[in-house]
Amino acid sequence: MTAVILDGLVLGLQFGLLGVGMTLVYGLGGVLNLAHGQIAVFGAIVTSLAMTSGARAFWAALIGVAFAGLVGLLLDRTLMRPVYRREGEERVLLGLLLTLGVGFVIEGLLVWRYPIQQLSLNIGGSAVEILGVRMRTGSLLASVISVAVAVVLVLFFRYTSLGKAVRSVIQDEVGARLVGVNPNAVRSLIFFVSAALAGLVAVTRSMTSPILVTAGVNLTILALIVTVVGGLGSVSGAFLAGLLLGVVHTVSSFLIGSYITTIVLLAAAALTIVLRPAGLLGRPG
Amino acid sequence: MMASKTGARRRPALLAAYLPVVVAAALLALPPIWLSDSRLWMRIAIGWLVFAAYGIAFNVIFGSTGQLFLCIGALAGIGGYGTVILADQVGIPALPAVLLATLTSCLLGSALSWVAVRRSLGVIFTGIVTLTFSLSFSNLVLGQRGLTGGETGLLVSTGSASLLRNRLSAYYIFLALVVVFLAVFRFLQRSHIGWAFRALRDDEVAAGLAGIDVARFRVIGGMIGSAMLGLTGSLFAVYEGFIGPTTYDFAGIDIRVIVMLAFGGIGTLLGPVIGAVFFRVLDEYLIEFGQLREVVYGVLIVALFLGFRRGLLPSVQNLFARVLRSRSNPKGD
Repeated sequence: MTAVILDGLVLGLQFGLLGVGMTLVYGLGGVLNLAHGQIAVFGAIVTSLAMTSGARAFWAALIGVAFAGLVGLLLDRTLMRPVYRREGEERVLLGLLLTLGVGFVIEGLLVWRYPIQQLSLNIGGSAVEILGVRMRTGSLLASVISVAVAVVLVLFFRYTSLGKAVRSVIQDEVGARLVGVNPNAVRSLIFFVSAALAGLVAVTRSMTSPILVTAGVNLTILALIVTVVGGLGSVSGAFLAGLLLGVVHTVSSFLIGSYITTIVLLAAAALTIVLRPAGLLGRPG
Repeated sequence: MMASKTGARRRPALLAAYLPVVVAAALLALPPIWLSDSRLWMRIAIGWLVFAAYGIAFNVIFGSTGQLFLCIGALAGIGGYGTVILADQVGIPALPAVLLATLTSCLLGSALSWVAVRRSLGVIFTGIVTLTFSLSFSNLVLGQRGLTGGETGLLVSTGSASLLRNRLSAYYIFLALVVVFLAVFRFLQRSHIGWAFRALRDDEVAAGLAGIDVARFRVIGGMIGSAMLGLTGSLFAVYEGFIGPTTYDFAGIDIRVIVMLAFGGIGTLLGPVIGAVFFRVLDEYLIEFGQLREVVYGVLIVALFLGFRRGLLPSVQNLFARVLRSRSNPKGD
């Protein structure tokens, strides 16, 4: 059971990173990016293609993550402009529908062009013993990367002026503009970071299990669940929700089975919305 | 004297209101004359009626009351799977099975609507909750193999001798369904319910202040729309003779209905019908493009919602109206 919970934590860290990306973009611009998972898969496929053409795993992963980020940046600079010009519910609805369409386009193109491509990074090395459980090097490396990125993110938001600028836009767009923060620039930056994080999650996931070209929808849904449970717009909430749901995911798959597990996760999201719409760490109201 | 006068004046208005429904019914009654020889084309033609029915239902829920129900396929699927399980496995006669399954969809849809209203979920939370409902349904279908046949699906034996198994009579049964749905939609628009719908769509707070019970009318919208979805899904299962996980899945139903409505016009009477005819035919031609079909749908969603907020057809209509007006009134006004 310890092994299952440890696996859950490893998975949860990645869920968390996936959710953070989605939650940040929503917090900043009111766009719930339903193409998030497809962008992640795009990053994975680019990595895999770079590796088949001879790049070392590290550089290939870096290229993949960068490309995923660029897709996000492109999306923000083009299709999302008219969305940001709308206000309130209309902005949310348009953002939702447009990214839904974009997700279909990305996945459709990838499956059409590379129907059997997949990414699996085999990290060599022998298993390591932690808490009496043998862990594969792959999942260990994935966790180390995830934790490191999470720490960098938290430090960035807490201590750099750019990070504070981002938080100021989340809190109050007009106020941020008044003190000289350019919301558009901040949004572009965060869209890039969010998409790059999605790509990174796909890469670290592939260290333990292969990422198929059709994995996009599932990743989007996971990100959505984590985002909702953590509270839309809450970074620490997304991490906490990710860890929690990761453990729930592995324990429940271990005990009950995968279909019911998905339903459990979905129910968690639905119940959060109904009972505590602000999420785990959000302030109600 | 007065009463008969107003009655006489009202009758033409009544006729005018339902005229589009009659015209649509008459036009849709014609295609089998040319198509009935072709199995493929009859299947496509029935497909457009089924999608028109889904579209009208979605129009009642989203177009009229602004509730983003991303579970069109799931509610239809509950009707479909419900009917087949009740009739073939429990052993209830076909007609009560259809009614019971429809009622189940109706109750679940109303419950979703009620929760959304009670907790005043905005468009985004309503969308997410109904999406989780959708995905839970498809996971249940895949997971409960004993009941649903899992990935292999179920052969439908109930109603195998019914008129729904004959292509021509099935076409007219679905046509009748669409016409009834259209009439219901028009009736709702003209009744005090339609007034309330419009008011709460334009400004929910103002509607509430004007004494409209916003919660009640939202739930009524969800209830009627979900019943329509359940009934259509149920009849479709009997007609098709087979249901599987892809029969009612999100990508297959919800996405197409949304694209269709974006084309035909959300909230309009005939938008779903026109959109359905156009897209069912387009869909058939896109089959040979395989995966690129999804790409086309993605591009269409983006283009339609970006370019035409009220739907493509209404925008074109508007343009025509403007051109005609400037013709008849060259000086402008």
